[in-house]
Amino acid sequence: MTDAPDYLEAHIAERLAARAHELGISVDVRDDVVYLRGEVVSEERRRELEDAARTAAEGREIRNEVSVVPVRAPDGEETLS
Amino acid sequence: MIRLAAVGDIHVGPEVAGSYGPRLAGLSEHADVLLVAGDLTRHGTAAEGEVAAAELACADVPVVAVLGNHDYHSDEQDEIAAILRDAGITVLEGTGTVVDCGGTRLGIAGGKGFGGGFPGGSASDFGEPEMKAFVRHTREFADRFGSALLGLDCDLRVALTHYSPVAGTLAGEPLEIYPFLGSYLLAEAIDCAHADLAVHGHAHHGSEKGLTPGGTRVRNVALPVIQQAYAVYCLTPGGEGCDEALSERAELLGGA
Repeated sequence: MTDAPDYLEAHIAERLAARAHELGISVDVRDDVVYLRGEVVSEERRRELEDAARTAAEGREIRNEVSVVPVRAPDGEETLS
Repeated sequence: MIRLAAVGDIHVGPEVAGSYGPRLAGLSEHADVLLVAGDLTRHGTAAEGEVAAAELACADVPVVAVLGNHDYHSDEQDEIAAILRDAGITVLEGTGTVVDCGGTRLGIAGGKGFGGGFPGGSASDFGEPEMKAFVRHTREFADRFGSALLGLDCDLRVALTHYSPVAGTLAGEPLEIYPFLGSYLLAEAIDCAHADLAVHGHAHHGSEKGLTPGGTRVRNVALPVIQQAYAVYCLTPGGEGCDEALSERAELLGGA
């Protein structure tokens, strides 16, 4: 049973890729709680990946700690010489 | 001097249409060209490709792009490339192009690239057909990419890929997935051609700056890494990668 959370994490990550097309979200299962962490560009995508995770979470509570980071205006330049 | 704007992994689609394009307004005040390092879409559908083309069309400078793994997800990559080209965007896949930037010839060669890993942790062309196909896809690309880089008649030579040529710009990603994030074969091609700069995306949790073993600067411009609409790099011709050294290298390569 000790490695069950590992499999669950992997299954949720698979589901995030298949349904929400997000590959960069970290999935962490601790004490029967699923933590989602990472960044997306819109609130809609944040909700979407939570919904996708729920379909594989086997009824566990989900804490969606993914943050929404909108695209910032460019700032400065780097000179390479 | 030329100013090169670059971004990767914009991942647009109908649900966020119109959110990225406006950030490109007035780009010509900051840059001479815009390089897009793949993953323009999320699911790789033609519909998303249309959105990507419309967003990038907001740029008032030449746009040169490569596709990324997401752009291949729905098997509509050829359609996406055609849509981008119809919008006036140059799409590279193991090919090169030269952009005239106020008299300076900026040569760009690139393509999606692929994985395989880095020295000390890389896949080999050995064993099952699936494994060999994986490695050969990268090798075949690296060969075309290297020839395209060497074939550029230009003052400044820039490599543009989706996958990373080095591990340095992956810092922040889990080590376990490095072989899926890039390949040293890309760096080898870049070093053979003495490129002045290599730009890539793909590694959202990576870091911006790296270096090839041969000393070419590498920049990871994935949107979540640069955290701005695009990064701007200023390059001056006459540094490393000049023509003499280059023709020697071309001979070496031809004789290999």
